[in-house]
Amino acid sequence: MTNGMKLVLFGAEVLTVLCALIATFHPNVLYGAIALLITFLGVAVMYVFAGADFLAGAQVIVYVGGVTILILFAIMLTQWLYQMKLRDVGTKLLAPILIGAGLFYVLAKALLDINPKFLSDNAEPAQKFLMTPKTALLGEALLGSYLLPFEAITILLLGALVGAVWIARPR
Amino acid sequence: MNAFMTFVDKATGVQGFLIVGAILFSLGIIGILSRKNAIGILLGVELILNAAGLNFVTFSRYRTAAIDGQVANLFVILIAAAEAAVALAIILRFYRLKQTIDADEANLLRN
Repeated sequence: MTNGMKLVLFGAEVLTVLCALIATFHPNVLYGAIALLITFLGVAVMYVFAGADFLAGAQVIVYVGGVTILILFAIMLTQWLYQMKLRDVGTKLLAPILIGAGLFYVLAKALLDINPKFLSDNAEPAQKFLMTPKTALLGEALLGSYLLPFEAITILLLGALVGAVWIARPR
Repeated sequence: MNAFMTFVDKATGVQGFLIVGAILFSLGIIGILSRKNAIGILLGVELILNAAGLNFVTFSRYRTAAIDGQVANLFVILIAAAEAAVALAIILRFYRLKQTIDADEANLLRN
């Protein structure tokens, strides 16, 4: 990667983390949802740099275009926007932060300890893999060795969506 | 400037990806534990699912250079979408019932 590409990726990472912080700690859930949207976009940029072009598109379509809009709809349907009820003041913030920080400490210690020889970025197959378009490969995998999970997940999706409509039906 | 570029170099490598995933996961746990608003809890769950997907893609690219991790992430995205739809339907139903989405108020099954 050139230095410019590295700076773009670094910017996306910083944006992702900052917006995830806002999504977690902002007292107003509406602003949290909008910050979450930018987090999803940052993760999509990171997918591009990890060689997952199709997944970056799917991430933008499903998360940014679907899940976040759904969450915003739910916020606006359930709470009057300019009412103070929207605020979600974290009265018990200390214990969650301690648990989260401890979790992050353990994870980071393990992740920074990886033997560098397992992480070589410049190996020939890895570089070739990065530049291959993934759509055809994913399609072959989904209808080949992953056919059973693929069919199972279609049933799951159908059941979940029909169930969601049934739960939210007007009486 | 040089020290900064060294840091950027490290942050854009595999460990940078994994650390970002760990940060997203920890923040999601904090969000789930600290929020009282049901939609706020859902935000935390989405963060955690994204962290899981990011780790799948990262290991798929840097460790095996194979497509398996991306297929797994596709399933994660699908399950996240289904989960969000069901969760928001339940939240809407609950709001109609109680006029609030405070998770502490969800005690209908108690006793």
